[in-house]
Amino acid sequence: MIEIEHLSKHYGDNIVVDDVSFAVGDGEIAVVVGTSGAGKSTLLRMINRLVVPNTGRVLIDGQDTATLPEDELRHRIGYVIQGYGLFPHRTVAENISTVPRLLGWDRRRIAARVEELLDLFQLDPGEFAQKFPHQLSGGQQQRVGVARALAAKPALLLMDEPFGSLDPVIRGKAQDDLLAIQRRLGTTIVLVTHDMNEAFHLGDRIAVMDQARLLQYAKPADLLTHPAEAFVEQLVGTAERPFRLLSLVTVKDAMEPGSAEGEPITVSATLRDALAQLIWRGRPALPVTDASGAPVGRISVDGILKHGRASLS
Amino acid sequence: MSTRAVTFRAAALLLLVVFVTRPQLFAFAFVPLTANNAPAIYNQGSLLALTLSHVRIVFLATLASTILAVALAIFVTRPAGREFLPLSRSLVNIGQTFPPIAVLAIAVPLVGFGEKPTFIALFLYGLLPIFENTLAGLTEVSPRTLEAARGMGMNAWQRLWQVELPLALPVILAGIRLSVIISLGTATIGSTVAAKGLGEVIIAGLQSNNVAFILQGGLVVALLAVLIHDGLGLAERAAARRLGRPLDEIA
Amino acid sequence: MPTLRPTLHLDRLGSVIAGLIGLALVASPFVTYRANRIVSGEGRLLFDALPPAGAVGTILVVIGVALCAALAHRPLVRLAAASLGLCVIFPAVGVSAGFVTPVGNTFARVSPAIGFWLLALAFALLAADALTRLRLGPWGRLAALSIAAGMLALLLLSGAWSDLSLMKEYANRAESFWREGRQHLWLAFGSMGAACLVGLPLGLASHRVPALRAALLQGLSIVQTIPSIALFGILIAPLGYLAANVPLAAALGIRGIGAAPAFIALFLYSLLPVVANTMAGLSQVPADVTEAARGMGLSRRQRLVQIELPLAFPVILAGIRIVLVQNLGLATIAALIGGGGFGTFVFQGIGQTAIDLVLLGALPTVALSFAAAIILDAIIDLTRRGGHDRD
Ligand SMILES: Nc1ncnc2c1ncn2[C@@H]1O[C@H](COP(=O)(O)OP(=O)(O)OP(=O)(O)O)[C@@H](O)[C@H]1O
Ligand SMILES: [Mg+2]
Repeated sequence: MIEIEHLSKHYGDNIVVDDVSFAVGDGEIAVVVGTSGAGKSTLLRMINRLVVPNTGRVLIDGQDTATLPEDELRHRIGYVIQGYGLFPHRTVAENISTVPRLLGWDRRRIAARVEELLDLFQLDPGEFAQKFPHQLSGGQQQRVGVARALAAKPALLLMDEPFGSLDPVIRGKAQDDLLAIQRRLGTTIVLVTHDMNEAFHLGDRIAVMDQARLLQYAKPADLLTHPAEAFVEQLVGTAERPFRLLSLVTVKDAMEPGSAEGEPITVSATLRDALAQLIWRGRPALPVTDASGAPVGRISVDGILKHGRASLS
Repeated sequence: MSTRAVTFRAAALLLLVVFVTRPQLFAFAFVPLTANNAPAIYNQGSLLALTLSHVRIVFLATLASTILAVALAIFVTRPAGREFLPLSRSLVNIGQTFPPIAVLAIAVPLVGFGEKPTFIALFLYGLLPIFENTLAGLTEVSPRTLEAARGMGMNAWQRLWQVELPLALPVILAGIRLSVIISLGTATIGSTVAAKGLGEVIIAGLQSNNVAFILQGGLVVALLAVLIHDGLGLAERAAARRLGRPLDEIA
Repeated sequence: MPTLRPTLHLDRLGSVIAGLIGLALVASPFVTYRANRIVSGEGRLLFDALPPAGAVGTILVVIGVALCAALAHRPLVRLAAASLGLCVIFPAVGVSAGFVTPVGNTFARVSPAIGFWLLALAFALLAADALTRLRLGPWGRLAALSIAAGMLALLLLSGAWSDLSLMKEYANRAESFWREGRQHLWLAFGSMGAACLVGLPLGLASHRVPALRAALLQGLSIVQTIPSIALFGILIAPLGYLAANVPLAAALGIRGIGAAPAFIALFLYSLLPVVANTMAGLSQVPADVTEAARGMGLSRRQRLVQIELPLAFPVILAGIRIVLVQNLGLATIAALIGGGGFGTFVFQGIGQTAIDLVLLGALPTVALSFAAAIILDAIIDLTRRGGHDRD
């Protein structure tokens, strides 16, 4: 549990973060979105005290972070920045083992941890451990950056536009991988991004910032259905709103009993994908199967529309 | 490295070693340059001893300059020394317009003849390239890398030793190489103020109008300088490789 | 939040400079007095080196500058203080020479001593720091240089320094001073001119012919590592042979020992910066620019003259700056092999342990390199600005 209480920061007369408060539950992903210069990075950097707040405090599991020595605090919090900041003079293995070494782990434990993380991020240890960052592709560097941040098993991970420099295809895959790993490790994540799609894809809760202020902190669906201010509505995108909403719901929630002809859709697909399939195939309904492929019902255009109207009203 | 390059280096080194230890073997080549039965090979001291003391003073002076220059560059890039950064940059620019011989000449009246003024000149002049390069190396470390280091909880000392200095190392080494080459030349001139070194051979040749001395002195110094320059270049590239960065081969 | 109460904040660098000034005032002699040119001298503190009123005035000014250094923050104020300090101590050391020398004694020598040099260093540091912080543009720097040069000329022409040992050394050999000066400039600028004539086409050729590039650069960088006297020495043998066996060479004044090997050596040293920078300058011309020029139908020659060379010009100039500063310094060593130049006085001075004679050779050399560096840096900035502004 991390609690951000009335954090403010100003540089001279320029107020960069203005009285921001919110809390992130254990194992949740909170995504901070907002326009450039809104103060997102500053907010994030106040959590690991790279920036010292003027007022307010941050509690991690009830403990005020200001009471801990800075370096010790940072050893316990993973940190990933845009461009990853990998050490160019260190191999992948050395990069990943940075914090464990600072913490004085023994050699064997470090080696085992590096191997475990490389496996987790689908990087073959034999091939990648001894490579230098400049020998990796952008996507591989990104994975090493996250692996490095997770090395000392932090309960909290801070990510500042971690996918910002990836192309759209790799970005989508990286997001899915992050979700999978996060579900597995149960790490709490605070992630900053410009990209609304990314926010909706990853966030359990989304914090919208503009001009130093936190406008709304809510679940993605609430953000769509009950935007707190015009700015949030605009950011969320009025025209795309229904589709966004559909992408938050899986087929399971709008499924009807019965069967239909055609290419089946899995229960875990989003309604947005299902609608796309229906339109593409030119059918009013398609069969739904569970993970094992067994038919469990059908999904129809009408059903989806009905579900969409219900959640918007 | 190609085998040709290795053979070439080995041959040059061998030539130098044989020449300074057994110069008489080469007398035949220098006899045509002498007149009036003047000696063809330097006979007022051992070439080997001169070479060793030449290298020794360059080594000691460079060591001293390296320690001070690197320390100063670290100081002016820390928060405590920031105020000195702009001035120190200008000073390096200005200092490099001083010819080394001027430093040498001004030191003589202050400390007398011999090794001392030479050492002072080598030391002072040697500071500049090392300081300049260390400064460049330290300030060019990407802010993102430093941010990551800070974010992972490295303290200032750990950042300096584990991140900044290793990243700056190839550039620092290049500065040391430049400094050594300048020092080898200045040490040669040091013979005019009675420092023991290879310049003696050339000066002796100039004084007695013996072209054979002048030429062999020139050749030994030149070969020594080229070999040392090359050797340090190899070390630099090895360091850069170990740091995972294949430096462009800039001479 | 801004506070209205001005706080007394010590400037770190300024405090160091003030300390230096204090050291110079209290513990170091301002001038050295010697009964004649050769004997060792005795120091005089500033207070004893000037007539009482002058001494008190000078000391007050110096203390004022020290306070300014430690307390004032505005670069302009600091620059003014430093300039004032310099404008006081330079004439003061001349006055001191007249004051300390017994009337009618023509053998006695007075030289600036460590205290004077420390003060000059401290003020120069203060001025340099202020100028750096002012971030003067190219014209501003040229103006500052002209003012400094003007003041120096005024000082020397006014005769304020004529009682100083340095100027007595000069007076004894005024004629040879200017002759060696011309020789020095000829060696430095002549070899640079020759290097440009040869190096620019070479750089151009190796830009076009990659095969040439590696070999040329490697060869030239080997030459660059050979210490100057060694290269002089290596050139003396073949030139001597040429002079002895080719009448034309002898008629042209080429001899084994003398200016010829020095000139050739300086020329060889100059080639690397000129060639390398010409190449670098040409290769950094963006491909899309040359592409556009080709698209507009410019011929190869027109592209070179109208597009590539102008864009490469600042980089080429940077190479020329390196060459000029390097040559002005290296030309000093030519004197060792009878090539003349200001080095003549340096080596004579070393031989006679006469520091003022050394300075007579060294100071003009330093001043020339310094001025050359500032002027060329300014020109480089100006050409950059005209071409393409980077900031
Ligand atoms: N160290 C600093 N000193 C002065 N101003 C700063 C500093 N750091 C940030 N700012 C200012 O604070 C504001 C917010 O910066 P911040 O980096 O937090 O924005 P951001 O939301 O992360 O923007 P982006 O999306 O572009 O990364 C900006 O106007 C920036 O100029
Ligand atoms: Mg940001």
